[in-house]
Amino acid sequence: MYGFEALTFNIHGGYLEAIVRGYRSGLLTAADYNNLCQCETLDDIKMHLTATEYGPYLQNEPSPLHTTTIVEKCTLKLVDEYKHMLCQATEPLSTFLEYITYGHMIDNVVLIVTGTLHERDVQELLEKCHPLGMFDSIATLAVAQNMRELYRLVLVDTPLAPYFSECITSEDLDDMNIEIMRNTLYKAYLEDFYQFCQKLGGATAEIMSDLLAFEADRRAVNISINSIGTELTRDDRKKLYSNFGLLYPYGHEELAVCEDMDQVRGVMEKYPPYQPIFAKLSYGESQMLDKAFYEEEVKRLCLAFEQQFHYAVFFAYMRLKEQEIRNLMWVSECVAQNQKSRVHDSVVFIF
Amino acid sequence: MEEENRELNPENGSGFTKQHQEEEEDHKVVKFLDSADSYLDLFDSLSSTLRQGWLELATARQSMGASRINRALFDLKYHNAATSLQVIQDDVKQPNFTLCKWVSTNNQNCSTEEAKFDEDELFEKNSTNAQLRYRGTSEIQEKSPESIGSKLTVVDQIQKERSKSLSMFGTLVSPKLRCAQISFETALDTLIEMANMRSSLLSAYDQVHKDMASTKG
Repeated sequence: MYGFEALTFNIHGGYLEAIVRGYRSGLLTAADYNNLCQCETLDDIKMHLTATEYGPYLQNEPSPLHTTTIVEKCTLKLVDEYKHMLCQATEPLSTFLEYITYGHMIDNVVLIVTGTLHERDVQELLEKCHPLGMFDSIATLAVAQNMRELYRLVLVDTPLAPYFSECITSEDLDDMNIEIMRNTLYKAYLEDFYQFCQKLGGATAEIMSDLLAFEADRRAVNISINSIGTELTRDDRKKLYSNFGLLYPYGHEELAVCEDMDQVRGVMEKYPPYQPIFAKLSYGESQMLDKAFYEEEVKRLCLAFEQQFHYAVFFAYMRLKEQEIRNLMWVSECVAQNQKSRVHDSVVFIF
Repeated sequence: MEEENRELNPENGSGFTKQHQEEEEDHKVVKFLDSADSYLDLFDSLSSTLRQGWLELATARQSMGASRINRALFDLKYHNAATSLQVIQDDVKQPNFTLCKWVSTNNQNCSTEEAKFDEDELFEKNSTNAQLRYRGTSEIQEKSPESIGSKLTVVDQIQKERSKSLSMFGTLVSPKLRCAQISFETALDTLIEMANMRSSLLSAYDQVHKDMASTKG
């Protein structure tokens, strides 16, 4: 029941909630981003980041720097923080923290499988995997020829096993199958995470329901837009939408038949929480949609910190950190390409 | 100058010939300068198109994630090039460059290696359409069949081939990645125009240089 978390939460979760709130205070501010946006070179960016919490991770990197190096080192910091929290967590928080990484696990599986299909070296692919999504037998993915083998040889012993029931076939893996596999896995993962949060109850269930519903709705919009003009049929498109969220089920029915951006806009503007997002875009434009969605997401994630004694702060912190890393990647790319005038196109301020 | 010519040969055509010669020389110099100017314009255009393409690629990476757009996903399996270059050298001094986009394996000029293709029917249609080669979108309209239905088929085929090229990053890719693809395709067209312009420029320069040498001699 709501309200009684204050009595017992701190017994097992108090220390880690304090830790994550401390981590939150280390996120970059608008002043930090303004300084970064004025940098002329990647070495300048490194110099500015050395004065932040990223300092220990970047200070020993030799010049010339590359944007991928900056992103890797910043991600390393996130991984260290996550591992610190995970090793201190007890159930059910430890399971909750593990759920946060399953999305990266799915991305890594798809990366390895796609790269293998393209005859890439497995070692090279492993270096590109996200560290939060690594598991022991990941390298064995390269031997699978179809999804059945993928499941039987590797994934049956991973947390992704339950998500495979809907996409096991004996068809050989190709680009379309892999794409459908990616989205089907992610759909199953989101639904499972949602159910888990509902079982936890209290403030965790309430706040995480809102955040995961937003994630599901955003995915539905992105799938609709990205599948315009492709061979994906309407039925297949609809199968990739999650079975929860504000758009479920009527919004999904309408999104499944959209053939262009204006039709997607027409569907989304019927839902008041999404009207301000699409109001920022001009007709036919989809360029700024990602930024609009990220801004809305950041707003919701920051609100999660307004309440205490729930697990959503951990999810919110991880997502905010990932947004920060995306911001740093974008600023670095703009500086490296000498396109500083475009730096504010994709930077989303957190504070 | 003209009066001098008339004094020398007031009644026969040699004065006129000299004037005509000078006009031709001026014309060659103007042609050379025009070519140089066009070449520099194309250079600027190429630079800005490439900048736009790289930024769009970075935007797509921001949208789709670094794991979905990275060079580890490039396809190393053997496959025919989607685009190839033809060099037509009717005039030794001024070769002409033509881009062959989405060409057929039946077209020996563009592809000399054997390859298995699942879409043989598609490419047979292309090869019967007077060798679908074009420099930029304007030539698509010139070369494609007159009927609207055939035009749509050609456009659909081109779209399919574009999607196929992008499929190494996944089937459901962001519109930003498609924009980046168009930008790089435009840059390739501009490069070919630059090559042709440079060829024309060098030819014009040779002619001017020859005229200057013969004048001094």
